[in-house]
This record gives sequence, C-alpha cells and structure tokens, in this order.
Amino acid sequence: MSDFSVIGESRLRPDMPGKVSGRAQYAGDLSLPGMLHAKTKRSNVAHARIKRIDATRALAYEGVKAVLTHHDVPRVLHYGSPHPRSASVTKDQYILDSKVRYWGESVAVVAAVSEEIAEEALDLIEVEYETLPALLTVDEAFSSSVRIHELRNDNLVVDPVTVRRGDVEKGFKEADLIVEGTYAMGRPTPAYMEPNVCVSQWSEDRLTMWISTQTPFMVRGILAEVLGLPLTKVRVLVDHMGGGFGAKQDLFQTEFLCALLAKKARRPVRMEFTRKETFLGGRSRHPGTVWLKQGFRKDGTISARQARVTFNSGAYGSHAPGVTAVGTTALTSLYRCDNVLLEGRAVYTNTPIAGAYRGYGVVQTYYALDIQMDEAAEKLGMDPAALKLKNAVREGDLSPSGHPIVGHGLEDCIKRGMEETSWPVTRKSGHGVVRRGRGMGCEMHGSSAYPGIKEQGNATVRMNDDGTAQLFTGTTGLGTGAHTALAQVVAEELGLRFEDVSVVHGDTDVVPWDIGAFASHTTYMGGRAAQMAAAEVKKQLLSIAAEALEASHQDLEIRQGVVRVKGSDRQISVRDAVSPKLGLPTPQLIASATYKPTKSYSFAAHFVEVQVDTETGQIDVLQVVPVHEVGRVIHPVAAAGQIEGGIQQGIGHTLTEDYVIDLQTGRSLNAGFVDYKMPLSLDMPPIRTILLETAPDPGGPFGAKGVGEDPIIAIGPAIANAVYDAIGLRFRHYPITPEDVVSGLRQKRKV
Amino acid sequence: MKKISFTLNGEERHLELEPWRSLLDALRNEAGLTGTKKGCDVGDCGACTVLVDGKPLNSCLMLGVEADGREVVTIEGIEHPLQEKFAQLGGAQCGFCTPGMIVMAKALLDENPNPTEDEIRFGIAGNICRCTGYTRIVEAIEAAAKEMKK
Repeated sequence: MSDFSVIGESRLRPDMPGKVSGRAQYAGDLSLPGMLHAKTKRSNVAHARIKRIDATRALAYEGVKAVLTHHDVPRVLHYGSPHPRSASVTKDQYILDSKVRYWGESVAVVAAVSEEIAEEALDLIEVEYETLPALLTVDEAFSSSVRIHELRNDNLVVDPVTVRRGDVEKGFKEADLIVEGTYAMGRPTPAYMEPNVCVSQWSEDRLTMWISTQTPFMVRGILAEVLGLPLTKVRVLVDHMGGGFGAKQDLFQTEFLCALLAKKARRPVRMEFTRKETFLGGRSRHPGTVWLKQGFRKDGTISARQARVTFNSGAYGSHAPGVTAVGTTALTSLYRCDNVLLEGRAVYTNTPIAGAYRGYGVVQTYYALDIQMDEAAEKLGMDPAALKLKNAVREGDLSPSGHPIVGHGLEDCIKRGMEETSWPVTRKSGHGVVRRGRGMGCEMHGSSAYPGIKEQGNATVRMNDDGTAQLFTGTTGLGTGAHTALAQVVAEELGLRFEDVSVVHGDTDVVPWDIGAFASHTTYMGGRAAQMAAAEVKKQLLSIAAEALEASHQDLEIRQGVVRVKGSDRQISVRDAVSPKLGLPTPQLIASATYKPTKSYSFAAHFVEVQVDTETGQIDVLQVVPVHEVGRVIHPVAAAGQIEGGIQQGIGHTLTEDYVIDLQTGRSLNAGFVDYKMPLSLDMPPIRTILLETAPDPGGPFGAKGVGEDPIIAIGPAIANAVYDAIGLRFRHYPITPEDVVSGLRQKRKV
Repeated sequence: MKKISFTLNGEERHLELEPWRSLLDALRNEAGLTGTKKGCDVGDCGACTVLVDGKPLNSCLMLGVEADGREVVTIEGIEHPLQEKFAQLGGAQCGFCTPGMIVMAKALLDENPNPTEDEIRFGIAGNICRCTGYTRIVEAIEAAAKEMKK
C-alpha cells in the first residue's frame, strides 16, 4: 500500500502561510463601515425570576443604538445546540428569558458605537430579581422540590439511559473478586484561544453572519428557524477559527442577539466574548460521578460490570442527552464483558452550562473504568497492562454503537506501548521525598456520532480546464488540518499533485450542506465523501482521456497529473485532456457525493511516568508515550499534533484544571487564565507519539479513522495509575491536586 | 484624543488615540493590523505579543499612547525562518496563539541564538497554546535556530 503519492505525507498545510504571517482572517478580525459593538449584561444571581427589567436609561445613553431584553426578542423555545432534531441535544432555551438559571446568564444586550460605551450602558439597565432557591449540586437538584425548568416534573434533563447486555446478576455470582468504587470528575473547560465572536450584517431582509463556529450550517438553520427566515436569507461565513474542541457547536445566544441588534440598529454589529465570558457563557465538560462495580474471575476475565453515571448538565441541557448516552454506553466496551447493566443520568443544576467537549462523556466513564482495572489487577496479583490486554476488545466484538469491531487495534496499542516502555519494570519501592511512578491507560472512541445522530458527509469536486481540481466542502477548519487531509484525499483519488487541489469552504451560500466539525468525523466522513466525489470525476476524466489515447478507460491510470496507458508509453497530461480543444470548452467535469457513515473506532494506550513530591504534593508528568491506532494516517504531523494537544488538555483536567463554582452563591470563582490553570510550555513533558495503522476501516477514506478526541481520554487514568504507583495513594477523582496528595499522605501515615 | 507618531513595522505612522486605548486595540482597530490577536486582554495569554523597541510585551497591557516615539514590530513585520518551521513542523494548529508565539520566539532567538530546550520552554512560558502540546513549537524554534546558523 506504500504506492500512495500524497496520502501519508505531511504536506505543507495551505492554511499555514496565513497563520504564521498574521494574514489569516478570523471572524473577529472583520471590521465593517458603521459597525457597532455589543456587550452582554449578565445575572448576579444563580436562580431568579426577573420581576422588572428597565433599559430606558441605557437606551438614552449617548452612543447607544439598541438594547434588547427578554421583552424585545421573539420567545421561541430552541435547541441549545442546533443538531437538527437529534436525540443528542435538548430544546430548553429561549433567546432571553424572564428567568435566570445560573450566575452569569445573559439578561440584556446593548449595541453602541464603542465597546466602552456598550459596557458603561450595561450598568444603566435596572434589573429586579425575585430570587429562587439555587440548586448548585446534583444532590440538591435531586432532593429539592424546586424545578429549574418548567418543562419537566423533575430536574433530570432527559429520562435515564439504560444499557443492558447479558445477565449482570449471574455475572456477579460467577465472580471470584468484586471491585467497586465511586469516581468523581471536576469541571474542565475547553479554553480555546479565540473567544467566541460573531459579526452580523443585514442587507434588506438578508442576514450575513461571520462567526467562529464548528457548525455553520447548524447556525444558519437555527437562525432561519428562530428568526422566521428562509435559508436563502441567511448566509453564515467562517474561515479560520481559533479552536473549538467541541464547545463551539453550541449556540451561545449571541448568534440571535447579534443578529437582532443589527436588525434593530440597522447597522452591522460585532459581538465578542471577553475571556471571562468564555467561562461564564461558554461550555464546560460535564462534572459528574461514576459508580462502578465489576466482577472478575481468578484468571482476570470480567464476569459482570454495573455502573451508574451521573452528569451535572448545569442550567441547560445542551449536549447532556448525547454526552450521557455516549459516555454511559462506552462502558459496554474497551474491556470485554458479556454481562453489563448501565444507567446514565443528566441533571439540571443552577450552574454554568456543560456542553460538548472533546471526549464527549467518555473521558469521565473511562477514567473510572481504567482506574478500576488497575485496582482489580492489584487484587488479582496481575500486571495492570497484562490484565487490560487480556480483556481488550478485539475483532468482531460488539462496539458501543453495536457494530462489530474491525481489527485488533487496542491489543496492538497495548503491546507496542509495553515494548516501547519496557513494561513492566521491576521497581524498588520509593521512600524518598520525590518518588516516581508509571501507569498506563487505554481508550477507544468512535469516528462519527452514529447512532446518536444519523450523519451525512457531502462533497462536490470540480475539475478546472487547466487540470486543477477544487473540493467544495461544508466542513469547518478548527485548526486540526482536516482541510489539508481532504485535499490529500482528493489528490490521491484523482491522481493529481497535491498542489493542484484546492479546498473551498466556509460559506453556506456556496458549499454543500455539512453537519459540522465534531465527533472525530471530518476526515473520516467528509474525507470519504470527498473521495467518492473525486472518484466520480476521475471516471469522467478517464473517459475523455481514453478517447484521446484511443484506449479503454480500464487500461488507464493517473499519477502526478498524467494519464497513462498501463504498461505502455502512451500518455496525456490531465491538463491536456481537459483543456479546450480548438477553442471549444471541454464538458465541465464535476460530481457530488453523499456519504452516510455508521461508525468506526480508533484505539489508544497511553504510558506515562510521573514524579510526585511528597512534601509539596506537586505531581509532574515526566514522559508520555501515546500509542494510537487510527487506521490509515493521511497527514502524520497533523495526526500527531491532535494527539499531543489532546494529551495537554488531558494532563490539564487530571491535575490542575477545574472551573470552580461557589457552592453558596453559584458565582464562578476562577473565570480567567490566572486562576484556571492550564499546562504551559514548562509543564508539558516530552511526548513520544506512535501511530499505528494496523486496523484501517473501510468506512473512512483509504482506511482512515478519526483521531481528534481519542488522545484526551486515556491520559487521565494513566496519570492517576502512575500516581498510585509512585506513592501508593489511589485517587478516584480529577483534578488530583497537590492538596489531595499532601492530605492523602498525611491520612496514610496516621493509618 | 492624543496624537502619536511611531514606527510600525519599519514605517512611520501617525495615529489619533483615546488615552485609555490599549496598544493592542490601537494596532487592530486604528492601524488595521489584525495579525496580533486578543485572547484575554488582561495579560494572561501572550497572543498579543509584539516587539516594542525590540523587547517582547503584551500589547494589551500597554497604552497605545505610550508607543509615541517608539518602534513597534508586529507579526506582519516579521520575516524569519521561524515562520517556515512553525508551518512545516506542526508548530501551529488553529493559529490563534501563533502570531504572539512567533514574535516571542523571535525575541528569544534575537537575545539567545542557541537556546536549550529548557530555555525555549522558559522563553515561551507566557504564551498559551491550547492545540499543540508545545512539543512541536519547541521543535520549530530549535529548527529555526539551527537554520539561522547555516
């Protein structure tokens, strides 16, 4: 298979020259004549009815051009994230409501001639609240008679998810060992570098919006629906965007508010979150708990697995149904078990909204599962990697989505990681102040959101009359390099040079519909659609070339932009084949394709070494060896970049990142980069990434699978297990802070 | 409004600024150079790093009027092997931290043409990247340093 000419090569990403020179245009870089600036007034109570809201003084303030409160906007109940009619998201939000459900929720917006004036005018808006009891924890939400949403008679976001396979009671009876524990997760946030931003402009009755979003067609759809416009009247544009990591597939209300302000003021309006607002009005990963109980036979096989997953959704549902279903169902797999009973719940609380974030529920549940495997290994007297290898899912096993697994990716990752790190090592038990430990964790994650969403990838490929080709795709470029991968796929399929393929994207008026960039599916699904469209154009091209070469099209091959008759020296360049003849244009070569994926799974095992200072409690990750099986690798540098960045965020949530809400008031305590601690260059260890291509999946282009979400999942339990190895303390939560280490060691010494 | 004259990427520029306007906003909104990014506006993230009289600083923490008579270089004014190395070696992904990161790396290499890995990591410790895990940024800076010795 090494006869690819473009696939597998780290070609220069076409987005890079602009990004390294400052020329790349992001939505927030746009400036339009007469543009106004909008700011949001946010609530300073966690749960209340708005008794009175009066914007008269703000509206009279010099420079203010428009103000909106809940009195001035259409009252349309809408989805928190605009996945059309899927079971993954909830319909529980208004543009602005007469009630606030968390501290920091927007209650009014102002558009003015400058950001400063808009900001000053916010203080002139008078709001009188009738406060309600704030339910700030899941326990309070369960026990209280207060309802956060009137739509339900409990505080659950949706009815619980139940997953049953085999007979769990029988399985526990057959067990020689039962291990049980509750695992708790904090509230990490994606903290993308580019704060949310959009610019709205109306011309007559037509809205144009420049926005940093992963889902431009979803934004278009919901804007049209809520504002009562046909899709021809809403155009959404997104070129470069400064990260999203899942969260920017939600709606942040700003989309509606910016559009409505622009309409009211009859001027373009720009609305940008401050960094603080990306915390207040943004989306976090779901905090939660996982109660997990497993039965093991003496030989290490798993006879039963039972779990109760509880996720805190915050004030709105957003992606809670999807996250709960995906995270809970993931526990059917990774390690084989025939008898499984799982329950997943998502609960409303009066705290900031949890949404979609890289790893989508699986980060939490596999954190519990992979730590518990280490606990079991110790009790069974087995090496943890050996126990995981013994139980690793393999070819033909049923995946969480119900598909048979292709290949032995997980086994391959574990074995390779053990080889690379000389695992297991015999170690002298540490007694010094600073102790080292090693741990490993595993994961698997699906490319595409099936079966939660019935997805589809679309692509159009057009050949120009100079032999170059253009891919029209609705996929979004978050920064992953996916558009480069799509261009490589088209070039490979058509036999063109990489330089001769360009990608047109980012304009909902021009490119085919796309569901958005998420679920590790852009290269997998968008890429497969692009490959299919390219294959169709290739057919058209070959039939023209066959005529020119007086050969059968079956005898032709295209490489590097040249069509050859196989086994002969007869050839014609693609350019000559499609260029106008005697002044007559050749027929337009163009094709579209739609691909409806099911799902394929990528796998990984992460091996880490940590150092724990027993006096200060400081945990340092010294080295990470991530082994990922991702099917055919299209762009090695971009794929490895996904893995290393995911590990960075995973080290963050495992050790330092936690968006903290005051349990008295619901107020956020660390909405900024000084107090919300992310790993910086000095905190990050060397990462020795290993990519395996041992289980390519026919569902993706040339066998490629997704890689975006995978790396953030296995790193957490690998670290927790390494900390145990270092100091003998078993932490069943994240983040594991220095305080936890110091107080844990103190407790241990007392015992 | 206060009038200022300063050198911006080698050209003499004159701006009229409100006295409270940050250099970052002055560059982006008044001078029309949007390559310098606003990631936090409070000096935490380094995305807005520019060179003032050759020294790197967060342009969100300096007033525009303080640039009067000084020499400012933004990402648009930089031509350096760093850029090619960042592009080729995976030193950038979403690209939002990249302008500040490259400006900071240039300042580092100007001062220390042979930095060790630790010195590079220390040099960019004030620039947050959320995409790359930093490894490839460090490698790109090392490669640029090597390139410059050729």
